[in-house]
Amino acid sequence: MNARAPESSRLVQAESESARIDDAVRRARQGDVGAFEIVYRAHAARIYALCRRMVGDDAQARDLVQDVFVRAWERLTTFREQSAFGTWLHRLAVNVVLEQLRSRKRDDARHTDADEWLAGPGSLAERLDTRMDLDKALARLPAGARTVFLLHDIEGYSHDEIAQMTGIAPGTARAQLWRARRALMGMLDV
Amino acid sequence: MTDNTTHLTEDERHTAADGSLPAERRAHVEAHLAACDTCAADVARIVAFMKRTQESTAPGAAASLDELWSPIRARIEATKVVALDAPTPSTSTRSPVRLVVAGIAAALLITTIVLRIRPHEQQTSVVAEAAPDSSLLRAVADSTKAYEAEAQILLDRLEIQRATMRPEARAAIDRNLHVVDVAIAELKDAIARDPNNPALRQLLATSYRQKVELLKRANAS
Repeated sequence: MNARAPESSRLVQAESESARIDDAVRRARQGDVGAFEIVYRAHAARIYALCRRMVGDDAQARDLVQDVFVRAWERLTTFREQSAFGTWLHRLAVNVVLEQLRSRKRDDARHTDADEWLAGPGSLAERLDTRMDLDKALARLPAGARTVFLLHDIEGYSHDEIAQMTGIAPGTARAQLWRARRALMGMLDV
Repeated sequence: MTDNTTHLTEDERHTAADGSLPAERRAHVEAHLAACDTCAADVARIVAFMKRTQESTAPGAAASLDELWSPIRARIEATKVVALDAPTPSTSTRSPVRLVVAGIAAALLITTIVLRIRPHEQQTSVVAEAAPDSSLLRAVADSTKAYEAEAQILLDRLEIQRATMRPEARAAIDRNLHVVDVAIAELKDAIARDPNNPALRQLLATSYRQKVELLKRANAS
């Protein structure tokens, strides 16, 4: 019984926090910037994590977080309360990052050449820290493969959704995913 | 079952690992995995990798994300002031009556706000609460300049189109532009008296944006 009390207390707190954020979203939709700050503070960490993983760089991720929330403010009136705000914001963030990635003419020099990583992970693994974590390994994938991997295996989007968001064929998205997994498995020595 | 020609395809291994295997292939793949150590070991590796990625913690920011709020707010303040409605579908944008209504509504709104935030009065609007920081003033000035330039280009283009326009459409556009230009003139006058008032500068940028929107609709009609 003692163990249950803190648990139920936590649930009540979580519900109250959720209600507070829902209320902030409603007020922000009516133009209340102060309320939007509450929304920002509630969602910034998750959006940052998404951006950071998709672009593999802290500074770019921080820029993108700003872009995402400015875009969210501009589009708030299109948010329908039937869906979860977090889901809506997440999808919007993915679109903002994808737009940014598309606008790049070439992959960042930090990324390995596509032929190199497709040739097999062995040679890459030799040059990588054996204690490398997933995010460091992800940052070494070509942007396209990284995007598909993140959207599918981390964020849970389907191949069809990914195809729609990225503009590539579902079959291509699947092939990218298999290759990304193999490259990461090699890098992480799984 | 060690013959390479009969091993599962890459697609089958990954879909078996992540559970997205189509129902019609499931029996075949499961039977193969039960008999083939090579494929079973590989699928197990993929499953282990996926488990590891799902358990990995999301990357945290090197510095606090709180500090990003200030630039976000500045960008919001620089653009929000009077939110423009999203462009209406092309069929409705072609109506001169709607142009008149939209233009007058925009200009009236701007004029009303100008009257409310005269410098000697209490500032009550959300925008007027913004502190007069120099980066914001600069951003708004840049934005105004950009809209002013764009408006001029659109005006030039409209001049060329005028000859082919119906008289009533031409008159409607002129009336609209006049109303918005009056609002712009009032704002410029107010800014001359209170040059460091960020709300007035934002309103000027907004009124130019309204003008650009009107001109775009006029050019499209």
